[in-house]
Amino acid sequence: MQNVINEQDGAFSRRDFIKASAAVSIGTLGMTSRVFAAGSDTIRVGFIGCGGQGTSNAIDCLKSSDGVELVAMADIFQDRVDHSMARMLKAGVGDRVKVNNDRIFLGFDAYKKVLALPDVDIVLLTTPPGFRADQLAAAIEAGKHVFMEKPVAVDPVGIRSIIDSAAKAEKKGLSIVAGTQQRRMPQYIEVIKRVHDGQIGRIVAGQCYWNWGEQNWHFHKRQAQWSDMEWQIRCWPYFTWLSGDHICEQHVHNLDVINWAVGSHPVQCLAVGGRQVRTGPQYGNIYDHFGVEYEYPEGVRVLSMCSQIKGTTERVCEEVVGTKGSTYTTRGVGYIKGENAYKYEGPRVRATQQQHADLIKSVRDGKPINEAKRVAESTMTAIMGRISAYTGRALKWDWVMQASKLDLRPPEYKLGDLPVQPVAMPGKTPLV
Amino acid sequence: MAKCVSNKSSRRDFIKASAAASLGVLAFQSDRIFAAGSDKIRVGLVGCGGRGTGAATNCVESSQNVEIVAMGDLFRDQLDKSLARLSRKVDDKVSVTDDTSFTGFDAYKKVLACDIDMVILATPPHFRPIQLRAAIEAGKHVFMEKPVGVDPVGIRSVIESAELAKQKGLAIVAGTQRRHQNDYLEIMKRVHNGDIGEPKAGQCYWNQGDLWVSRATENWKKKQALGWSDMEWQIRNWLFLAWLSGDHIVEQHVHNLDVINWAMGSHPVQCLGLGGRQVRTEPQYGNIFDHFTVEYEYPNGARVLSICRQIPGCTNSVSERVIGTKGQCYTHGSTGYIEGSKPYKYDGKSPDPYVQEHADLIASIRSGNVLNEGRRVAESTLTAIMGRMSAYTGRALKWDWVMKASKLDLRPPSYEFGDLPMRPVAVPGKTPLV
Repeated sequence: MQNVINEQDGAFSRRDFIKASAAVSIGTLGMTSRVFAAGSDTIRVGFIGCGGQGTSNAIDCLKSSDGVELVAMADIFQDRVDHSMARMLKAGVGDRVKVNNDRIFLGFDAYKKVLALPDVDIVLLTTPPGFRADQLAAAIEAGKHVFMEKPVAVDPVGIRSIIDSAAKAEKKGLSIVAGTQQRRMPQYIEVIKRVHDGQIGRIVAGQCYWNWGEQNWHFHKRQAQWSDMEWQIRCWPYFTWLSGDHICEQHVHNLDVINWAVGSHPVQCLAVGGRQVRTGPQYGNIYDHFGVEYEYPEGVRVLSMCSQIKGTTERVCEEVVGTKGSTYTTRGVGYIKGENAYKYEGPRVRATQQQHADLIKSVRDGKPINEAKRVAESTMTAIMGRISAYTGRALKWDWVMQASKLDLRPPEYKLGDLPVQPVAMPGKTPLV
Repeated sequence: MAKCVSNKSSRRDFIKASAAASLGVLAFQSDRIFAAGSDKIRVGLVGCGGRGTGAATNCVESSQNVEIVAMGDLFRDQLDKSLARLSRKVDDKVSVTDDTSFTGFDAYKKVLACDIDMVILATPPHFRPIQLRAAIEAGKHVFMEKPVGVDPVGIRSVIESAELAKQKGLAIVAGTQRRHQNDYLEIMKRVHNGDIGEPKAGQCYWNQGDLWVSRATENWKKKQALGWSDMEWQIRNWLFLAWLSGDHIVEQHVHNLDVINWAMGSHPVQCLGLGGRQVRTEPQYGNIFDHFTVEYEYPNGARVLSICRQIPGCTNSVSERVIGTKGQCYTHGSTGYIEGSKPYKYDGKSPDPYVQEHADLIASIRSGNVLNEGRRVAESTLTAIMGRMSAYTGRALKWDWVMKASKLDLRPPSYEFGDLPMRPVAVPGKTPLV
């Protein structure tokens, strides 16, 4: 492949560095920063899940910091890898893409092959969310630092796995950064800092929305040669076992902000939802709208709405209401109304790059960042809302977190038959 | 028993005197006319279904010297069933004869032509605006069931009729019985006194299982077996047709929305709704949704979450909550309390509010200081209608636009038994905003 640049020498010495780093990180952590001091050493990235969002992340990662190279890629499908490679070259990061043909892995176990490469420092986990939990566990087991896209799971079993992996990563001194980029946008940081400082008083309520007119997001018409499994994976947003439904796949951003502002995950929820417009079988089994009430500690209730319906009013933002004022945040805007009015007017940050820069710096400095538990809780917030809407049942956080046995993984991972799970029917769909 | 056309002059004179007086020296006149329950209140019932019959029973039980004297319904069988039920329960307060019972689409006009002081309007909500107008024009006091319309055109008519009633000194009480319920009254008084501080948010719910399942199934069979016309099927199955019931957000949830408007002291200024028909999808269930979520925004920026659902096997709740800067109130049918800096729990008597609303109405008629809830219940109904329209179209809506500019008018081309294709189930993003 002409777009593959030969791997540089030095892998061997890097292995030694990594081992030293891993060993040291358990003990005298500060010393590890020597290894990656001042960008003097190259960070090598393995890329698992080469779709659109994954490729955006790879580009952001490579642009975010000096001395970063992409050295391996994994996907189920060759065409996704090719497309991703072409995009990266077009984006002007070709000089940092150093992926030999023998470092391109295909298939369901491709991620294991990337993780087995000893010179890979960081992996990008950007496959559909249904794969995240198992891949994170393997990545931490393999001693890799991780960037992973949100959401990080689709069911409570997956969330518990993420939280286990987070604890293991902490013990191993590994960083995990999650793609909830609002956490790195200064308008969010400044507004929520003021909420935590009490500038809107005691929080009494909130609202958040991802109401969107895009009805065919990442839709792929089924091709005759595709097996059930291939169709579902290529059209993954429309299958709950892969995306978690759009409340999980998209709205998790807004719920993460609410959890951040309130300083807690919710304690219970009640939801309604359905599939009113996007009803054809080509759209898999997800809903097109949800309405959820989340109750937080001390009786704070938050309204959540999300929809993906063409021709409807769009609204993507968060609001937190306190006794002395309220917040409004969305991408690009953050302000407080009330006694302590405030508007962020500082510079913008490319948060999608910043998250990679932070991750790489943490690796170089030997000061791990670990966002996995936090993003697992935000993802669980969304999952809980979905389960409540699907079953029609009010749900308690503790039950979902500790007792729910919902595990959406298919019987086996191979390109073959896989009947589509029926669309959920509140009152009939069992609570598992 | 008096016929409708006879024995009316003296009573009509009373009413007229009362109406005339109400424009001027009201208290003086009315005391004379209905002093101490000395004169009988004669009531006509329009709409003899379950709730109509219940309201008539509540009405005659509520006060001394009240009598049902005329009845009207579209269907003879409904009227007969209702009369039998009334006769069993409150026989001594029912004086309805063949001459004072009417059927057909214009039955209400005939009831209004009878020698009655007051009429109970309890047909499906669709008919309310037309029948209220006729009742007020005929000079009758009115008890009307909620909701009081199904579309903005109907709501504007109800507001006009309420205005006309005010001019004529006629009472209008609506079947939003929480307004006549002691615990609600005491809690709302405290909310308005500032006991929970400034309202900042709220929630209200009408989440219940299914209803009218066997009736819908039976009606669907009868439609085929007996050859019912579209119109007959739809009216007998009215709960499930949006043009007749307004959908369940209007038909039921209006109660909770009315309480929120009451607490907030205003109708909302805008809303955004979502909803669908996820479980109850069979054709016998007409064209209504089975769930809605709506966010209502009030003038001070407070947002209220509304959820309503009619799906069996789900978590149920019918209640309202308002959160203020100093506390919150929670009301739940027959119980309610305030938490916060000024906690309160009502522990006084709780008379049946379905009876109390009639007692209050009749007392107001007798005192001459008439109640007129027409505008208030029209606004609460429009709150629900606005939520439905938003969910049906997928569009955020402003109150002022819905109240003043929307041309939505769900009336059929004509009121007669015949063909009436069912409107399609709403599809957000496609269903036009009218």
